[in-house]
Amino acid sequence: MAIITISRGSYSKGKEVAEKVADRLGYQCLSRDVILEASDLYHIPEIKLVKAIHDAPSVLDRLSGGKRAYIAYYKSALTRLVRTDNIVYHGLAGHLLLKGVPHVLKVRIIADLADRVRNEMKQENISEQEARSMILKDDQERRKWTLSLYGADPWDSALYDLVIHVQKFTISNAVDFVCEAAGLEQFRTTGEAHRKMNDLALASRVKAALVGFNPDVAVTCEYGNVLVFVANPERTTRKLREKVKSLGDEIRGVNNIEVHSGTALPPDVI
Amino acid sequence: MEPNGLNVEMILVMAMIFLAVFLFIVEWVRVDVVAILMMVSLPLLHLVTPKEAFIGLSSNAVVSIIAVIIIGAGLDKTGLINKLVGPIVRLAGKSPSRIIVAISLAIAVISSFMQNIGAAALFLPAIQRISKAMKIPISQLLMPIGYSAILGGTITLVGSSPLILLNDLLVPFKLQPFGLFDVTPIGLGLVVSGILCFVFFGRFILPRGSREGDPAEQGKNGEETDLLQEIGDVYELRTPDDFTHYREPVRVEDLRRRYLVNIVATTEPPDYKVSSPPLDAVIRSGVDLLVFGRDKDVRRLAESEEMILKEGLEVFKEDAADHASGTVEAVVRPRSSIAGKTLKQINLRDRFQVTPLAIYREGEIYRAQIGDLVLRVGDAIVLHGTWKRLQLLHGEGSLLFTTPVDVEIMRPEKATFAGLWLATALVMILVFKIQLSVCLMTGALGMVITRVLSIDEAYQSVDWRTIFLLAGLIPLGIATEKTGTAAWIAHTVLNAIGTVKPIVLLTIIGVLTSAFTLVISNVGATVLLVPLVVNMAVAADADPRMAALVVGLAASNSFILPTHQVNAFYMGPGRYRSTDFLKAGGLISIIFIPVMIGMIYLVFGV
Repeated sequence: MAIITISRGSYSKGKEVAEKVADRLGYQCLSRDVILEASDLYHIPEIKLVKAIHDAPSVLDRLSGGKRAYIAYYKSALTRLVRTDNIVYHGLAGHLLLKGVPHVLKVRIIADLADRVRNEMKQENISEQEARSMILKDDQERRKWTLSLYGADPWDSALYDLVIHVQKFTISNAVDFVCEAAGLEQFRTTGEAHRKMNDLALASRVKAALVGFNPDVAVTCEYGNVLVFVANPERTTRKLREKVKSLGDEIRGVNNIEVHSGTALPPDVI
Repeated sequence: MEPNGLNVEMILVMAMIFLAVFLFIVEWVRVDVVAILMMVSLPLLHLVTPKEAFIGLSSNAVVSIIAVIIIGAGLDKTGLINKLVGPIVRLAGKSPSRIIVAISLAIAVISSFMQNIGAAALFLPAIQRISKAMKIPISQLLMPIGYSAILGGTITLVGSSPLILLNDLLVPFKLQPFGLFDVTPIGLGLVVSGILCFVFFGRFILPRGSREGDPAEQGKNGEETDLLQEIGDVYELRTPDDFTHYREPVRVEDLRRRYLVNIVATTEPPDYKVSSPPLDAVIRSGVDLLVFGRDKDVRRLAESEEMILKEGLEVFKEDAADHASGTVEAVVRPRSSIAGKTLKQINLRDRFQVTPLAIYREGEIYRAQIGDLVLRVGDAIVLHGTWKRLQLLHGEGSLLFTTPVDVEIMRPEKATFAGLWLATALVMILVFKIQLSVCLMTGALGMVITRVLSIDEAYQSVDWRTIFLLAGLIPLGIATEKTGTAAWIAHTVLNAIGTVKPIVLLTIIGVLTSAFTLVISNVGATVLLVPLVVNMAVAADADPRMAALVVGLAASNSFILPTHQVNAFYMGPGRYRSTDFLKAGGLISIIFIPVMIGMIYLVFGV
């Protein structure tokens, strides 16, 4: 009755934990499916999407807003998929992308660098030095990515409900812990939690539809009332307004949709 | 007269002109602040003497404008103009075209003696009433009438700031000043051509009401249905006795945010009623709620929050009756203290116990989280409250009510005095040929002495932005002339365009002024262009007075963009978009030039 996000570094056994948790609880396990869904929904080549959401934004990306667009598409696909509940998601930044949803259990699986290097050497058949430098580079890239987009360091344990170090604990222990936590009252899908998830999915969908018009567009949704924020009133183009109007009719669940400009952004904006 | 070569002073003056124009366009600071910047920096750069820098404040033009504003406020206070509107409408009958013609002519005449924006504000409530009563979409009425208010400013020499300024700008050239009614034939020609434009082409250039659909249907249903559908109606709900038992506290603002439903009143056990409860008030069990919202929203609220939606009004039947409370549309006045603030900041709910329901702006309707929107002049706020509370808010004066609430502290018994003093000022100008500012100030003083308005009300009515905009730009004009910059630019331009006939030159000046007035305000355009065109006319053997007159008149050719105060003000109530102004204003602006030049040719024989 929950959504479990498992954040992990490469070769940290997080994937195994995720799959086993899903297996035991009878949940659906999601990772690459989100990329396929996003690529399908927004007609973007998968390879482009993978690159865009994996690498940290370059200076050019920051200016053009291209990266933000891909992340909006990804988030829209993710929220659409997890809306159904009973999900274990072990892909990109679930704990950040699903922020504000009460019944999300945010887990991070970590492992010692030496273990990770060993795992990679075994799987990829490469030298220790190569494996080490690849893992360090990957960690660095992840850190830059979340810092630049969300201002959060993935190694900050305060971002998670549960951090499990797979060393003394086995994978099986980790699965036990996660399953037990997921059964707690706090992670039960209440009516309110379900509504918040739906609102987030709606807001994400609207943002993905508008990000092509204005990469700086920000969206909130509460009880189906969608607000689209544009910082600069002059940039509130007629095209954007018309698109927003048509979205109100196209997207089911939108009760009211408006464009506001020149106002301060609320904290829960996406 | 051959101009000297370009020197350092001239380059400095041109740099200052560019700076002023640049700041006017980018609007980093307000236009009047730009003017004050000029007032201060020109003497610092030794381009004008300190005395010349501030001479604008004591100029004939500035004093005249102060007096005109006070006289306008006096006329407003006595309700003299409202009295005129009734008979005019009766005269016009039921045809929309005739109503447009009648009101447009009336506003043009009135605006020729007071500030255009003042006349526009004065007429708005009356126009809204006519629109509702006659079932004519408001968008069909406001634009022609607003344009007539602007055009009416060209009927007399005190009608608009550029014309008031004109004689002052002619002084350095020792040219004969214009009389009060010298421009009247031209102004009337412009007004008539503007009105005819709307009568003949109105259906092509005016937006077809605020909703799409059959225009005939539109006319039948009018704005009222629109408003009802979009904003909703009053409903009565009851919370169950266990409402607070099994849920987080629900506050008034939660319901507004979640369902866009406004709580207008609640009952309070044992038998109290609270109107416009504070936003953070918790909704209790077993109470009745009077709410305002769209049908679908109220139903959604009742279903989600498990409240009982009553068939009709029961507990609040008396309170919600038409004689006790209602919904009004209130427009943010020009120079209103609430412009630039949010509804949260001005807190109408707590201060006046009225509930803001929605805001109309540029054809868009805002209903969600309107408390955070920064209000602009011309925004129309839809408010619900008891008439008593609405009257209090009306009395405060920052909002212009388009629905009458009949409470403004009017002094109708002073109407005779107000009329008398206006007449006195006119007689002094026309018969005794005394200087404009002295005559108008006499009229203003007379109104204060006969208590048409108090001296404090007179001070408050003065728009200091206009005053400093005028006074601050005058030294820039002086510097342009004194340093020979105006003559240099004039000759350079004339050399570029070659020898032209005077009438062609005037046309070019007209087009140039029209373009300038759109970006740097009518006053800015006049101050900068008059010295220039007088020099050009002298060099090209045309009449310099006529060249200056063309600038003064064409500075009112400001219809294409909603930058003119009147256009900006009517945008909200008329539900206009910028493109609406482009379409209708484009035509009027194009017709303006040939009519103006033609009338000048006929009257002054250029």
